[in-house]
Amino acid sequence: MTEALVAVAVYGVPAVLILAPMVTFLLYSFWSVQDGRLSRELTLVNYATFLSNPSYRSVFLGTLQLTATVAAIGLVLGYVIAYLIWRVRSSLRYFLLLFSVIPLSMSYIVKIYAMRSILGYNGFLNSALLAAGLISEPSKLFLFNQTSVMITMAVIYLPYAILPIFLSLERIPLSLIAASADLGARPGQTFRRVVLPMSLPGSIVGALFVMVIALGDFLTPQMVGGNQGFTFGRAIWSQFGMAFNWPFGTALAVVLLLASLAIMAVAGAISSRARVR
Amino acid sequence: MTRFERLTLTLLWAVAGLAFVAMYGPALLVVTLSFFRIDRQRVDWSSFSFDAYAGLAGNHDIVAALTNTLIVGFSAVTCALLIAVGLAFYMHVESRRGQRFVEFMIFLPFILPAIITGVSLLIAFREAGIERGLLTVIVGHIVIIIAIIYRMVMTRLESLERSQLEASLDLGATKMQTFRYVVVPQLASAMVTSALLAFTLSFDETLVTFFLVGGEMTLPIRLWAMVRVGFTPEINALVAVVLLMTTCLATVGALSLKRLVRIPVHG
Repeated sequence: MTEALVAVAVYGVPAVLILAPMVTFLLYSFWSVQDGRLSRELTLVNYATFLSNPSYRSVFLGTLQLTATVAAIGLVLGYVIAYLIWRVRSSLRYFLLLFSVIPLSMSYIVKIYAMRSILGYNGFLNSALLAAGLISEPSKLFLFNQTSVMITMAVIYLPYAILPIFLSLERIPLSLIAASADLGARPGQTFRRVVLPMSLPGSIVGALFVMVIALGDFLTPQMVGGNQGFTFGRAIWSQFGMAFNWPFGTALAVVLLLASLAIMAVAGAISSRARVR
Repeated sequence: MTRFERLTLTLLWAVAGLAFVAMYGPALLVVTLSFFRIDRQRVDWSSFSFDAYAGLAGNHDIVAALTNTLIVGFSAVTCALLIAVGLAFYMHVESRRGQRFVEFMIFLPFILPAIITGVSLLIAFREAGIERGLLTVIVGHIVIIIAIIYRMVMTRLESLERSQLEASLDLGATKMQTFRYVVVPQLASAMVTSALLAFTLSFDETLVTFFLVGGEMTLPIRLWAMVRVGFTPEINALVAVVLLMTTCLATVGALSLKRLVRIPVHG
């Protein structure tokens, strides 16, 4: 009897809290708003609007490009940092690792606010450039455009990339590196022929993870993007705020979901291929 | 090491140093500014004071938002802990139907962009006729943090000797008794650590909360409402306090994680 109750609770809680909302979510994207009221008849009108409207399409593609850039920056900078920490063999190592993940716990709003105060017209970056004599008046280049969104996201999401990259470096058996050195390879050669090929798949998976997180961000572009820094996440959010067309917003979110699943499928393929070799 | 390799390493350290400046600099700058008055966009460096901090304690909106955040955090972590530990033990004690699928479900909100979890819960609550408020925020946070608690508890469970469970069951203990007297005591450290990390996540959760909060305010939402207006020393002071709290939380969490990992696996 209690066994049965426990089973109901164990399967019921995830079903009610996660599965049911997900199913409702998918269903909702096939409903529509007519004359300001929700119509529960199934229709493809939301998806048709998305596909036929060039501005939504270009925002979607632009956001994919933006987040891919953020992921690429995360991969390169994250790899440099993770590799350097990985090379440290003293107790400093754990401290450095902690130091690189602490920004994860810093308040998200605080981080984007701080970035805006640095990139802004009267911000720190402009003041520094002015003081250095590199520019004669404050530049508007750094705020309220796609570049400022990209820079801010790259800074905020970098710590998410460092940890998985470090872990994929950790998985390399040290005996392989010793063997490479014994066989006469110089450190640079060992890196190119052993360390990099073995850690790259896991690192790319980490970067793709960053891309998925960045894809759904709607507050960073709102804070530092202004009118030009419009992203797909903002397009979804606006349907639930001012525009108030929930079914259309949901359909856009389903498109985002499909994009995320596609990215994760790529990540899965990369890591399973790496395991086979 | 050749000179070229040494040069490369130095260069890499310089790049890493710049990245660290970019990660920490903005926050440190804001904290610094919280001690000074800003007059017509210019910082008055002679005006060092704690005035902005004193103003915070008297700000009822901020205190109320902080209270809400703590309520949400404690409730969500407690519920998620109960669900996740129960689920992990249920799945571990004998092989169960649909374990893969249930785990996939649990991890989904953790790996998908937050906006999708937010939208799906918002719609589900709307269809179920549940008004938005702190309760819906708590549910949203449970959904997000359940994965991290489940994963850590499961890892610990898998490191326990199976024979302990079998011995307990052979000696006539029920599954409940085995759970209570054999498993839970050994899970304590994993539970504490995962609860700390989960609380840190909940404390800072913004993207899902935005969809579920309705007219209520949690600290990140209040902060967002404030920073949209502009920069004041008071905001900077609040930011400094929030940073201090989250960093302490995370550091304690990380240190207990380190302790947890160090515990030798029995057997």
